[in-house]
Amino acid sequence: MASTQQLTRRIKTAQNISKTTKAMQMIAASKLKKAQDAALASRPYVEKLFVITGQLTKGIEKALLPVYMKKPKQKGKTLFVVIAPDKGLCGGLVTNLARELLRQSKADDFFLTIGKKIESPVARMTKNIVASFPFGTTSPTYNTIYPITKIIDEQFLSGKVDKVVLLSTHFINMFSQKPTITNLLPITPSEEDTNEKFQFQLFEPDLESILPDLLKRYMRMILFQEILESYLAEQSARMISMQNATNNAKEIIEELKLEYNKTRQAKITSEILDITGGMTATS
Amino acid sequence: MTLDIVTPEKIIFQGDVDEIYVNTADGEIGILPHHINLFTKLIPGELKLKLLGKEQYMAITDGFLEVNNNKVTILTDYAIHAEDIEVEKVMEARKKAEEILKKKESRITKQEFALAEAAFKRAVAELKVANHKHKRPMH
Repeated sequence: MASTQQLTRRIKTAQNISKTTKAMQMIAASKLKKAQDAALASRPYVEKLFVITGQLTKGIEKALLPVYMKKPKQKGKTLFVVIAPDKGLCGGLVTNLARELLRQSKADDFFLTIGKKIESPVARMTKNIVASFPFGTTSPTYNTIYPITKIIDEQFLSGKVDKVVLLSTHFINMFSQKPTITNLLPITPSEEDTNEKFQFQLFEPDLESILPDLLKRYMRMILFQEILESYLAEQSARMISMQNATNNAKEIIEELKLEYNKTRQAKITSEILDITGGMTATS
Repeated sequence: MTLDIVTPEKIIFQGDVDEIYVNTADGEIGILPHHINLFTKLIPGELKLKLLGKEQYMAITDGFLEVNNNKVTILTDYAIHAEDIEVEKVMEARKKAEEILKKKESRITKQEFALAEAAFKRAVAELKVANHKHKRPMH
């Protein structure tokens, strides 16, 4: 049995850990609230953009099809954009992402990583990393996606890859997050919103020159949405895993305290026995 | 007519207006009630609104404008009210962008140039709008 001194030290350690994890849990909870607000705030823009894109691209002639909507070739290569957090301590989120990536990708595909935590797993897997970006630890802003889309643009427009997919973690509920693949390029506007009639009488300058810009925004917005979603998933995963860590630490503290008291009692008992033994010996 | 100004981060403006003046790829246009249904591309610059004779200014960057049966929607990457513009910050941003733009061609990539140019245009637009702050009859 460990000495009481060792036990007090271990109790202290466990208490410190539980304090830290408790604080991290609370931080994650407040960030989670912000992440939910951010995801909600971007929705009006997305809805409007999707409706307009759907309307404008409906029934467009094949020859006029913008380069962003070209169908991929049979044997074309794919660019995987992997979105992960910068920081760990969020349960199995990063591991699940890496596993999904391994399952979905081929050896000669290309990769772009967002988030420090996924960099090394991808680097171990392949040499075809196009670029790596940090994810940041605060709520993602729209500005951060410009350089990322620029690189995706280059890869796609130069024909190096003819398909771009996003791999990110989706928020299912507080307790589960799921790695999910989303198609980014080529763009296939959703069909459901296109039932409304084509109602613009006037285009300035003209449809052909507006469409590429519109589709570029469409692409950016899908990426931004996925980044927001990942952030939301990250915070909820961290909150739950930190909550579990706090509970575990508390359990350990309980056990250690029990053991400490037992040891203490045993020590006192043995001391009393010693004293009474001494007394009977001298009398 | 109603106007919505929407950015990816939030809705900046929502409400009734009488007149809208905005910069498009083909030049400045004004939109009055019962304008023909229109879809057009916007360039970074100043946005002027009029409501009951009062004027309001905003700075916006690239985006799109849709007029649909007296409902105007502006989708833009970034928009800011004149009174929210922090002049010192914008000046700083402009200076930074200028420095990058002045660099020799060989020492700067195309993307860097494009990003700096966009930042510069946005700063110029914001400064222009910020100047209206003082002579604004609203509030």
